[in-house]
Amino acid sequence: MQSLSSQLANGPSLFSAEGFVGLIFLITIAVIIIGAFMATTSRRLVRCVAGLAVSFTGVAGIYYFLMSPFVAMMQMLIYVGAVSILIAFAVMLAAPEDHTGSGSRTNVLASPLGAGMAAMVFAALSILGIKTQWQSFPRQGSGDIEQIGYVLLTSHSMVFEAISLVLLIAIIGALVLARKGRS
Amino acid sequence: MAILPELVLLTGAAAFFVLSLFSRLDFNQVKNAAVIFGVVTFIAALVALDSKATIFFGSYEIDLYSQLFKLMISFGLAIALIFGQNLKDIDESVRPEYYMFLFLSALGLMMVVSSVELISIFVSLELSSFALYLLVPMRSDQSGLRMQMEAGIKYILFGVLATGFMLFGMSYIFGLTGSTYLNEILTGLQTAPQPAALFAIIMVLAGFFFKLAVFPMHFWVPDIYQGASNETTGFIATVPKLAAVALLIRITSMSSGNIQFLVYLLMFLALCSMFYGNLSALVQTDVKRLLGFSGIAHAGFILLGLLTMDPGGYAIAIYYISGYVVMNLACFLVLCNVSQNGENLEIDDLKGLHKRQPVLAFILAVGLFALAGIPPFVGFMGKFMLLTGTLSAGPESLIHLIVVILAAINTGIAIYYYLSVVRAAYTTDPEDRPDVVVDGFTQTVGIALVLLIIIMGALPAKIVALADTAVKTIM
Repeated sequence: MQSLSSQLANGPSLFSAEGFVGLIFLITIAVIIIGAFMATTSRRLVRCVAGLAVSFTGVAGIYYFLMSPFVAMMQMLIYVGAVSILIAFAVMLAAPEDHTGSGSRTNVLASPLGAGMAAMVFAALSILGIKTQWQSFPRQGSGDIEQIGYVLLTSHSMVFEAISLVLLIAIIGALVLARKGRS
Repeated sequence: MAILPELVLLTGAAAFFVLSLFSRLDFNQVKNAAVIFGVVTFIAALVALDSKATIFFGSYEIDLYSQLFKLMISFGLAIALIFGQNLKDIDESVRPEYYMFLFLSALGLMMVVSSVELISIFVSLELSSFALYLLVPMRSDQSGLRMQMEAGIKYILFGVLATGFMLFGMSYIFGLTGSTYLNEILTGLQTAPQPAALFAIIMVLAGFFFKLAVFPMHFWVPDIYQGASNETTGFIATVPKLAAVALLIRITSMSSGNIQFLVYLLMFLALCSMFYGNLSALVQTDVKRLLGFSGIAHAGFILLGLLTMDPGGYAIAIYYISGYVVMNLACFLVLCNVSQNGENLEIDDLKGLHKRQPVLAFILAVGLFALAGIPPFVGFMGKFMLLTGTLSAGPESLIHLIVVILAAINTGIAIYYYLSVVRAAYTTDPEDRPDVVVDGFTQTVGIALVLLIIIMGALPAKIVALADTAVKTIM
């Protein structure tokens, strides 16, 4: 954030390499935010899913900026490619009715109060982010597959094992609940 | 040897995974196997109590602090398995999976208390949470209202929200210190700018507030307690809170510099938890919901131990949570066994319990008296020490005095609803309610819990001293 703000203030021109990279970074952020808005404000579920996919794509861009091309690729494959499609399938199979109207919200104060709170949280986090002197740390590793595999099997080996248990729970849990539902 | 309890739990989970593949099973043997694994885990935790090691490249620390919590977790697991042997409300065909999730959840909790690295903490916590999310909707649908599904969904959604808060805080911590190891974070935060560091710590705390059910993160408690089967609730209400307290102490002790704001925040949350929990509990008719709201109030008391910000206060918090777990286990032991087919119990369903099953009525009475904070039980000593500890943390401060007075008022409120349950059990006639049949083993365990409640209340000094030694190993 610090580099971003200083770039905006007295940074290089748009036509230099750094300026162009900054522009692409801003576009990535815009994609995330637009996708998130689509996902949360649309009344049609399919559009919400599409917005989610757009947002995920933007996040992949952020990973690329963080010099982790492999994670960016996985983000595209798993989240954009698999998770969004899976949700789209669920939406199609369940065929929920498009519901129009504002639902059960009865309190007039709810929307302005909610918006006010959200604005306050946003302002507070922004001030915190700008005022804080973020330190820069040396890059750890190259972010390629070899490095990730090395870290997973050495310093994060316990996490690696624990994740396998988490996945086991997820698979068996899904089977147990789904099987019960059918019978 | 150092990770023996974890290995036993992992073996148990693997064994039940294999069992779940067979289509014909003797459910009596499945049940016995679960109880045996639970007891063996407790013995393993006892054996490994004073081992010391740092493994997995410095991300897993085995010391007295973690081993003490593992001992309590395995104790809670074993007791919950014993009194929930019958699993009245879980379909027989999914019982091996049920036990597998239960063991993996306990494994995750044990890994959380030993982890000293943020990613390990996060993944271990998720391991235990995912298993718990699944235990809730596994209740069979007796009422036809799909109450357990609603509870399961609520649990997942609130849990994910809390996880999000925690990850957000962790990302700030990483951004400020450039490390995920707690000891490096500790030194890093001392030089880091205060507001951002404080914000990060509060966000991480929020994730554990969810587990402990402290005020702003308490929404899930009543509905999940009501929707989950009695045995599951008995586990959710006790064991995960141990790990939550362990991590709250670890994270709180990391905050340095100007911590006055954090102290006031914890005070505010403690009072909100107490008033919210106790006042809501007054109007409950479902016993599990009542215990849920009382749990929120007790979480507030535990925060009083944390806000002293010294090892003595943390030790009392450990004493209090271990006492709370024992008292709550005693109450759930009674609830699980009084419930005929695993249905939820209203307070009226306990009427005349002293005639229908005198031993259970006695255990329930002791558990509730202890929760209410009546001497000579552990609940009284815990509350007494917490209040005096808070006072001595700020001897000159008016705010500390006000907090203590309000907390004392809360114990007064709490006595009313606890004793209304005891009154239903002791002073009313059973009318046409049937007798309750309990096997001797469960009765013995219940009596052992009662003895433990009394012993812990009578001899607090030894336990607090042990907890104090344990806390000092992580400082």
